[in-house]
Amino acid sequence: MRKLDISKLDVLALMRYDACTRCGECTATCPTGGEAQDVELVTPRGKILRLREFYRAQYGLKAKLLGPRMIPDDQLKELAGRSYECTICGQCKTVCPAHLDTIEMWENMREFFVANGLGPLPAHESIVKSIENYDNPWMQPRTQRTRWSKRIEKEVKIKDVLKEHAEVLYFVGCTATYDPNIKEMAVNSAKVLGAAKIDFGTLGNEEGCCGSTLLRTGLLDSGRKTALRNIERFEKAAPSIMVASCAGCYKTIRQDYPRIGKVGARMVHITQFVNELVSTGKIKLAKRVNGTVTYHDPCHLGRHNHLYDEPRKILEAIPGIRVVEMERTREESRCCGAGGGVKTAFPELAEKIASLRVADAEGTGADMLVTSCPFCYQSLKAAIETKGSKLRMMDLMELLAASCTE
Amino acid sequence: MSIYDSSMIPKKMPQEGYLKDKLWLYVPFFGAVLLICAVILMLPYETVYVRDEAYLGMFLATVCVCVAIFMLGTLYNVLIWMHGKGISGSAEKRLMRVLLKSLKFFLSRRFGRAASVFLKDALYLSKLKDRSALRWLMHLLILGGFAIMFALDLAVTVSLDLLKYEPMIRDDGWAKLWLRDFGFDLVGTMILLGLLIAAVRRFVFKPKIVRTELPDAASILFLLAVVLGGFILEGMGIAGKILGHQSGNEYSFMGYAFSLLTPESLGDYYDQAWLIHGVMSALLIAYIPFSKLFHMIATPIAIEADRMLPQREVG
Repeated sequence: MRKLDISKLDVLALMRYDACTRCGECTATCPTGGEAQDVELVTPRGKILRLREFYRAQYGLKAKLLGPRMIPDDQLKELAGRSYECTICGQCKTVCPAHLDTIEMWENMREFFVANGLGPLPAHESIVKSIENYDNPWMQPRTQRTRWSKRIEKEVKIKDVLKEHAEVLYFVGCTATYDPNIKEMAVNSAKVLGAAKIDFGTLGNEEGCCGSTLLRTGLLDSGRKTALRNIERFEKAAPSIMVASCAGCYKTIRQDYPRIGKVGARMVHITQFVNELVSTGKIKLAKRVNGTVTYHDPCHLGRHNHLYDEPRKILEAIPGIRVVEMERTREESRCCGAGGGVKTAFPELAEKIASLRVADAEGTGADMLVTSCPFCYQSLKAAIETKGSKLRMMDLMELLAASCTE
Repeated sequence: MSIYDSSMIPKKMPQEGYLKDKLWLYVPFFGAVLLICAVILMLPYETVYVRDEAYLGMFLATVCVCVAIFMLGTLYNVLIWMHGKGISGSAEKRLMRVLLKSLKFFLSRRFGRAASVFLKDALYLSKLKDRSALRWLMHLLILGGFAIMFALDLAVTVSLDLLKYEPMIRDDGWAKLWLRDFGFDLVGTMILLGLLIAAVRRFVFKPKIVRTELPDAASILFLLAVVLGGFILEGMGIAGKILGHQSGNEYSFMGYAFSLLTPESLGDYYDQAWLIHGVMSALLIAYIPFSKLFHMIATPIAIEADRMLPQREVG
C-alpha cells in the first residue's frame, strides 16, 4: 500500500488522462496489448484508465472528503509491469481521435513509475548498469568502439572528430558498433558516405551511448547525464551536421537532447542525408541490384519523426529495385516489437510481434525486407529465421552500398 | 483494514498548503458560483411552461446545487492536473497562474489559431472523420446537438427574459415557431439519433474495441433518458394543450409525434413531468466531472494545449 507521488506526471499528461474518451480505437492496433496478447491493461486505454483510477483515489474530490484510498502494491506493480510491455511505437497516437500525444504519455508514465520505486524492470537493470559503467548497453569495453571500422579503414577515410575537424559527424550508435550481426550497418553507412566523398568522422572510442534506453525506460536523470556527456563531445567536435544511422539515436539526439542542452549542429538521419546526396547526384548509383523489396518504417523514424519519403526515394533510385508496400505502411506501419525496452524484458512478446510484421512483408511477395534501424533489423531478422521465411533481411545502406561502391 | 485510512491523507505537496494561495483561488471561485446561482434565481421566467411556481422553485434550487457541484468537481479535476510537473508552486497557485495566462492568451493574436484548432479538431472531429465515418457522425450528432442546444438556450433565455422579444413570446411568432419549437426539436432529434447509434453499437453490435462498464452504460442511458424525457414532456404538453403548446404544434415535429401516442389526461401531470425532466437535466450537469463525460471539457483543452505549446522537433 502506498501513496502515489504524482508530481512526476506531466501537467499535460494528467490532462490527457482525463481527455481519453475510452473509445478503444487504440486497443485494436496496439501491437503488444491488442494484437499480440489481447490484454486490456497493456493497451493505451487500459493503462490510462487504471492509472487515473489510482491517482484520483488519492487526489480527487472524494479523496479530499473521505481520505485517500490505499492502492495495494500488487496492483501498482502489475500496472507498472504492464506499462513496460509497451514498445512506445506511437500507433496509438496515430489513431487516437482525441489527438493525445501518447508517446509523451508513456515515457512520462515510466518516469512516474521510476520515481515511485516501481520501475524500471529487473531485466532493464543490467542494461542501465552497463550504460553507467561502459557507456553502452552491451557491456563492451569503450576501447572496442572503433573496431567495426577496421575492415574499411583503407577504403574509407574516417576521421576522429575530437582530434581532427570534420564537416560531418557520424554518430554510429552502440548496437551497430558492438553487435557483430549489425556492424555491417555502420560499415555500409561509412562506405556510402565515403563514396560521396563526404568529409566525415566519428567520436571514436569517446562516443557514448545516446541514452535512448534510459530515457525510454523512465530513467530521466541517468539519461540526462548521458546526454550531457555527448553534448559536451559534440561541442568539442563542432561539426556542421550530425548523421545517425540508428533510428533510436536519431530520435534521442533530435528530440530529447534539445530539451537537455544546446546541440549546435543539425541532426539528421542517414536516410535524409543520403537522399539529399542521391537527389543532387553526389552519389552515383551505377550498379543494378535486382530484387523486389518492401520497406519497414521504424517507429522512431516514421511515427515519431515523420520520415517516410526519404527511405523510399532512395530505394526507388537504386537501379533494378522494385518497391512494393505492405498493407500496413507509413503512419499505420506495424511495430517490429523491439522498442521501448520490450525486447530486453519480454523477448517472447517482441518475437511474436516481429513475426506478425514478417508475415506482413511475406504478404507482399517481396524477396527482401528492408529497414533503416538496427533494432528493427535485429528483431525482424530473428523472426525471419525463426519462421523459416524466404525473405532476406537487408539494411537500406547495405543495398545502397551495393549499388554505389566497388 | 478500512480502505479509507486517515494516515494516508496526502502530506503537503511540495510548496503546497499556503492559506493565501487557497484564498486567491477559492474566494473568486465561490464568488463565481454565487454569481451564477444569483443570475439563475433572478431571471423572471415569465414564459416558462410549468404552471406551479413551487415546481419552478424546486427546479431552480436543484439547478443551483448541481451547477455548484459541477463547478467544484471540475475545479478538483483541474487541480489534480496542477499537481503534475511543469509548473512550480502549490496546485492552487499554479491554477491561478494558468488561468491568468489563458486569459492573456485569449486576448493575444494566437487566439485565432487556437479557435481554428478548436473548430477543426475538437468540434468537427477531423481525425475521427478519417477513421470511422459512422462514429464521426454519431459523435458529431451528439456533440453538435448539445452545442447548438446550448447556444439556442442562451439565445432564447436572453430574448425571452431580458429582451422580452415579442416574436419569441407570441404563440404564432416566427422565433417561437422556428427557434423554440422547430429548433429545439431538431437538435434534440440530432442528439437522440447520435445516442441511438451509440447505444445500438455498444449494446447490440458490441465491436471488440468497445468496452462497456457501468460508467459507459450510465452515461449513454442518462443522456438518452434526458433527451427522450424532453420529447415525452413536449408530447404531454401538446396532448394536454397546456399554455405555449396550443398552436403551431407541427413545428415541434418530434413533440407532436409523441403527443399522438400520449393520452390527453396525462397533461394533468405535466408539471410533475417537467420537474423530473428539469431535475434530471440538472443532475446530468452535476454528473459530468465525475464521469467519462468530463472528456467534453478535458479533450478540447488537451488538444489546444498540445497544439499551442512547444512540441518536440520532428523530421
